[in-house]
Amino acid sequence: MANGICVYAESYKGKLEPVAAELVSAAKEIQKTTGEKIQAIVLAEDPDGIAAELDRLGVEEIYAVNAGRDCSQQDDAVSAAISEMLEKIAPSSVLIPATPEGRSIFSRVAMKLGCGLTADCTEVLVGTKEDGSYYIKQNKPSFGENVFVTIITRDGYYPQMMTVRPGVYVPQEEASGGQATVEYFEDIKVGDSKIEVIEEAEAENETGSILGAEVVVVGGRGVLEDDNFALLEKFAEKVGGAIGGTRPMVDSEMIPFNHQIGQTGLTIRPKICISFGVSGAIQHTEGIKDTKLFVAVNTDEDAAIFGVADYGITADLKDILENYLTI
Amino acid sequence: MNIAVLIKQVPVSNDVSVDPETHALVRASSEGMVNPADLNAIEEAMLLKEQTGGKVVVFTMGPPDAEKALRDAMALGCDESCLVTDRAVAGGDTVATAKVLAAAIRKYGQFDLILGGALSADGATGQVGAMVAECLDIPHVVEAQGIKYDTDKADRIVAVKKFHDKKLSIRCALPAMISFNFGCNEPRLATLRTKRAAKSKPLVTYTNADLGLPLDEVGIAGSPTAVVDSFSPKAGRKAAMLEGTAAELAKKLYDLIEEEKGK
Repeated sequence: MANGICVYAESYKGKLEPVAAELVSAAKEIQKTTGEKIQAIVLAEDPDGIAAELDRLGVEEIYAVNAGRDCSQQDDAVSAAISEMLEKIAPSSVLIPATPEGRSIFSRVAMKLGCGLTADCTEVLVGTKEDGSYYIKQNKPSFGENVFVTIITRDGYYPQMMTVRPGVYVPQEEASGGQATVEYFEDIKVGDSKIEVIEEAEAENETGSILGAEVVVVGGRGVLEDDNFALLEKFAEKVGGAIGGTRPMVDSEMIPFNHQIGQTGLTIRPKICISFGVSGAIQHTEGIKDTKLFVAVNTDEDAAIFGVADYGITADLKDILENYLTI
Repeated sequence: MNIAVLIKQVPVSNDVSVDPETHALVRASSEGMVNPADLNAIEEAMLLKEQTGGKVVVFTMGPPDAEKALRDAMALGCDESCLVTDRAVAGGDTVATAKVLAAAIRKYGQFDLILGGALSADGATGQVGAMVAECLDIPHVVEAQGIKYDTDKADRIVAVKKFHDKKLSIRCALPAMISFNFGCNEPRLATLRTKRAAKSKPLVTYTNADLGLPLDEVGIAGSPTAVVDSFSPKAGRKAAMLEGTAAELAKKLYDLIEEEKGK
């Protein structure tokens, strides 16, 4: 009988990714109802240190495969090994970071295991079936965050697999550890891959773009009206900020696509972010992380952006911009 | 080189809401378009075709009116197209959809490369490309920024991908599946002439019977996952709301920005 809440312990260059601690938190929430063990799988060139970190996060059962090499990007081979691990562990659910690596590996794993994969959950809850057994309600945004849907893994398909969006769950804090059992699957090998990383260069210096900007001014649909964009440009110049845009602005070719923020664009980490006329589709706010100051200006006092900004101003952006430029 | 490009017809607008009574999705408009990131994949396919020759075939699964998306793709230079349309395959999740697309590619012919957009503008799962690769038992690189092909080394392709703070060059044996991020290149535009030409380019339609997939492996019946509910985003407010006249608000904004800059 499938049992256990299993976290994919994504690692990068020998270190556990911070998102893993978030998934352990999510697993602990599920555990409160189901009482299942919290498990983690790690596949890395040298899993020992990563396993120790997972232990300190309170994972109870750690399953490891020593890949024997850096197998980053070799997702054809890695997905095969992980599928074998999951078949042995037989967890009831698998929580995976909704990251490029998580999506890439587990899409193949889902196909190999003949189970499903729900993408980009922002909430995982426990439901109870008629027979008293538990299932995971996998809540996720759709249509660019305008709607949320609940997805379930249908009876007969195991395990319940889902990717969980980074930044949603508060990371589990490390404790002293020492409680976990660690099992190495010596018989599972990472096979040959048809993929090889042949060069690793520093990503290009993006100065002049919004990536390095300390102050970012973001415009939404409202900026497309009248001469508001010209005002926004003057404002950006005055505050020394770069302009980022939401999809309507990019689609209207007001700003180049490499300045689009959000789901299909960039994630930026400015110190200060001011948004004008952004209604708050979260795929856009998701593209902005770790701001020290986030002020949103919108005419609709119920706009979702006020759910994420530090300060809100309910006003016509034109009025605010014009007044600001006189200061 | 023969290239298959997977595209998806997505709604022009993501303006959907949830009917509070029925929980059904209410769409502002039913107008469809080619998913934006798929245009970047088409552009990569066209550049490669210009380099190596061969043909580019564009695939989609959808209702009969998804033909429009295929014609749009052929107006950008794709040579042929294939539409899988059948009530039996409708409503499938990523797993069920990938099986159908893989079967269509296999039936259509031999391809050296399968390309697609990394994420769709509506569902945005980013999963179907890698799943198709698994079905076809070929390697994949998803969320790439570009590809390089050397005709002297015809059995491989190099994908360029940003990963963490690195720019990776990833060598991948052919045949392979590569998906591209939105905005990784500037897609060409159709002209009146290419639009007209697209009308007479081949479009093959497959039903599920043509593909020969069991009915319990496709569509809703073949989907391991199911959507059981939909709801509107939670209204929550974190922001401290500032009050005053426009001039006062502008001044408050100014003070907040200057204070933060000074830290």
